[in-house]
Amino acid sequence: MAERTTIQSSGFANVSHEGTITGFRVRLRQPNYRGLRLSLIEGIDVTVGDTTYPAESNCLMLDGAAYTHAQMAEEIATRWPVGVCADVHVPAPGGLQPGVHDVAVTLRLRHPYFPPQFQPVFVRDQRHITIIR
Amino acid sequence: MSGFQYGVSLYSYTDDFGTVMDLEEALEHAADTGATGIEILGETHVAAYPEPSSAWVDHWHATIDRLGMRPTNMASWVDTRVTLTHTMTEEEGAAQIMQDLRLAHRLGFAFIRPKFGVVDEELTPHPIWRGAVARALDLAAQLDIVILPEIHAPTPIRHPVTEGYVDFIQKTGTKHFGLMIDTGIFQDRPLTHWGGGITDEIRKGALSFLNGIAVPVEHLIDVIQYVPFIQAKFHHIDETLHDHHIPWDRLVPMLKKLNYNGFLSSEYEGERAPWVAIEQVRRQHCLIRKLEAEYDAAHAQENAHG
Repeated sequence: MAERTTIQSSGFANVSHEGTITGFRVRLRQPNYRGLRLSLIEGIDVTVGDTTYPAESNCLMLDGAAYTHAQMAEEIATRWPVGVCADVHVPAPGGLQPGVHDVAVTLRLRHPYFPPQFQPVFVRDQRHITIIR
Repeated sequence: MSGFQYGVSLYSYTDDFGTVMDLEEALEHAADTGATGIEILGETHVAAYPEPSSAWVDHWHATIDRLGMRPTNMASWVDTRVTLTHTMTEEEGAAQIMQDLRLAHRLGFAFIRPKFGVVDEELTPHPIWRGAVARALDLAAQLDIVILPEIHAPTPIRHPVTEGYVDFIQKTGTKHFGLMIDTGIFQDRPLTHWGGGITDEIRKGALSFLNGIAVPVEHLIDVIQYVPFIQAKFHHIDETLHDHHIPWDRLVPMLKKLNYNGFLSSEYEGERAPWVAIEQVRRQHCLIRKLEAEYDAAHAQENAHG
């Protein structure tokens, strides 16, 4: 089962394409109490140390499929289930150095049943997690 | 003597579910309270919602039967503002409700609670609600499931939102649409423990909601005839069985006086540290059963003397 925190320890790794490190990924536990249509996630910003990687460039890997920020906005049939983890892939040539990193995420979630001034709500988590190599 | 029926909503175990507890364990904790009713959230607790496998559905029925429980309400959502550029039409809203009615029927539920998107801070539902529900009423009647929007803080009983639902019932004459009362509307002290996903923005912007809107329990008299199900929302009950926010000592006698004999379905929404919810739900059942027994004993004496 998943760790209690939104940001998970496992899954944090650099990502390669054809032998070149093109970025990194952060694994998240679904942070809401009900399955989330992807269209209700307005973005997932990732910050490592002092560098913020804005949602617009990130992509979500869920159950083997990749969703760009623009694709998520229109994806009304696919849900991110409760208790399930998904990976945020962040483009960052060269990736991150092995070691412990201070990682923060901000998810912007739209709950249509919340008053308009709370659309979206911001769900935040921050913790130290480790890239092994 | 007829009395309350006791239930548990698996919403109570939010955050435990999927980290320290699976569905079967959640159902077992609920059953161990002595509750006979089980309430779920379709999008949370049904694997591969909205189309679970037949093996999953068979296992659901077998587990519920083994535990001596029956399904009460399946919570659902009508996400009106489904994308940033598109709001659901009445037809799309009806399709969502009908999909949930069919799933609820497959799983044996008696009620569904569609949560509509809202248009203001008083939680006025998006105007498509009326047409969407109207289109789904025949199917609800055919499957004998009652559609229940919830009356939830900060919306009180005496309010245009509630009146709009009652008007719909009266105009259509339907038996398949009613009201669900969430006992959070009776909260009369500020919240110290909220498990609903509080953020700094909500803390600053929604004080009335967090302080409690303290609806007088007498207002139940206005609407009880339309209320077949109650979500027994609570946030913290201490080791002396004192609820810090919900006035059960006034609410239970009022419900008894009104002969309410539907379910009280525990909906714990407090501190979300692991396993806290299991004990909190048990305390609520102990507290409400005690208050019900006291009421019954007092009235048995009255009857004997009268």
